[in-house]
Amino acid sequence: MPSLKQINTKISSVKGTRRIMSAMKLIAAVKLQRSQSMLKEFRPYSDAYKEIVMGVAGKCDPKVHPLLRKPAEVKKRHFVFFTSDRGLCGSFNTGLIRNFENHLTEASFDKDQVSLSFVGRRGKDHCSSAGFSIGDYFSGANEKNYIEIANKLTSSAIEQFQKGEIDEVVLVYNYFKSALTQEITFEKLLPIEVKDEETSGTDYIYEPKRESIIGDIVPKYVQIRIERAIQESLTSEHASRMTAMENATTNADDVIKKLTLLFNKTRQAMITTELMDIVNGTEAQKQGGND
Amino acid sequence: MADNLHLKVITPLALIIDEQVELVEGPGELGEFGILPGHVPFVTTLSPGFLKYKQGSDTKSLLIHGGLAEVSDDNVRVLTDSTEDPSTIDTSAAKEDIYKLEKQIEESQGNAKKLKELDHQLKIAQARASVK
Repeated sequence: MPSLKQINTKISSVKGTRRIMSAMKLIAAVKLQRSQSMLKEFRPYSDAYKEIVMGVAGKCDPKVHPLLRKPAEVKKRHFVFFTSDRGLCGSFNTGLIRNFENHLTEASFDKDQVSLSFVGRRGKDHCSSAGFSIGDYFSGANEKNYIEIANKLTSSAIEQFQKGEIDEVVLVYNYFKSALTQEITFEKLLPIEVKDEETSGTDYIYEPKRESIIGDIVPKYVQIRIERAIQESLTSEHASRMTAMENATTNADDVIKKLTLLFNKTRQAMITTELMDIVNGTEAQKQGGND
Repeated sequence: MADNLHLKVITPLALIIDEQVELVEGPGELGEFGILPGHVPFVTTLSPGFLKYKQGSDTKSLLIHGGLAEVSDDNVRVLTDSTEDPSTIDTSAAKEDIYKLEKQIEESQGNAKKLKELDHQLKIAQARASVK
């Protein structure tokens, strides 16, 4: 049985950890609130943009613009991967990485058929140690610099797509459903994939002409989707960290409770033993006196 | 045919307008355009300028920073980076901006990407300066 001092040290160390975790939870909660309200305003804009681009792309021949090009065979697939820089956020990163690896196995893609860009250190670290080649990499994404990051990712993705170096661009991120659930999402960005119902209906009148509009709005669309993915990912990260830290705090409480119980039991046992010693001692003395 | 248009002006940061209106006029890239109920489907890119819309006898206007507009089934959607209320615009500051931007444009001849961005800023400043 550990000594009282050992148990005491352990209790105070768990209490210290608990304090840190509950502080992290509060920080995550504040950050979540901020990014969630940003995301809430950004969603209608990005959804409307997507609808219009789909409407325009659905009604015209893919040959009119290189960005609508549909490759006959997908030789190289480009993934843009959104993870966090830091850990302690539950299954936020591990879930995404596991899903991505399953996805590659299912599609039976070799490592050299895949190119990768990263926002967030965790995903990059994992994939570089798994032997993938790493393209663009950005760390420290936040609510202020995400537009700049999206801008760089967009120009490199569009350039490579137009040159034919990559045939597909897919975004991999955690979609923020609620503070408790985040959904791992694979979003195919390029080539633009149009649903059947969007190909019907009357065509638009374009001003200026269609080719020029497509050249304007498709890059902007790519940029907006990447901005959206960063926002979704940031919000999910905060939510995930908040939940993880909440659980950790509850667990620490349990541990502290158990340790305190053990401490009390041990102390009681010591007192009992000491009492027994005293009683035994007095008994022995009494008997000695009688002799 | 409906008598009204449903106008929505959306920016990345907020839904600015979501109202029934009778007429929309906007700054298309190739010139002003007007939309009445029953308009054919229409897509245009926008220049920085004033979006005007009529409700009854009221005509309101809003400065938009370029973007994209779509008309279909009497729904008008305007997607723009940012909007400004004309009553809050400081015209003298805008005139100074125009001067600065014109200078910068002269200095950055040859840099196509930067010129495009500066030109966009200049158009916004010109629109601001035109407020009476």
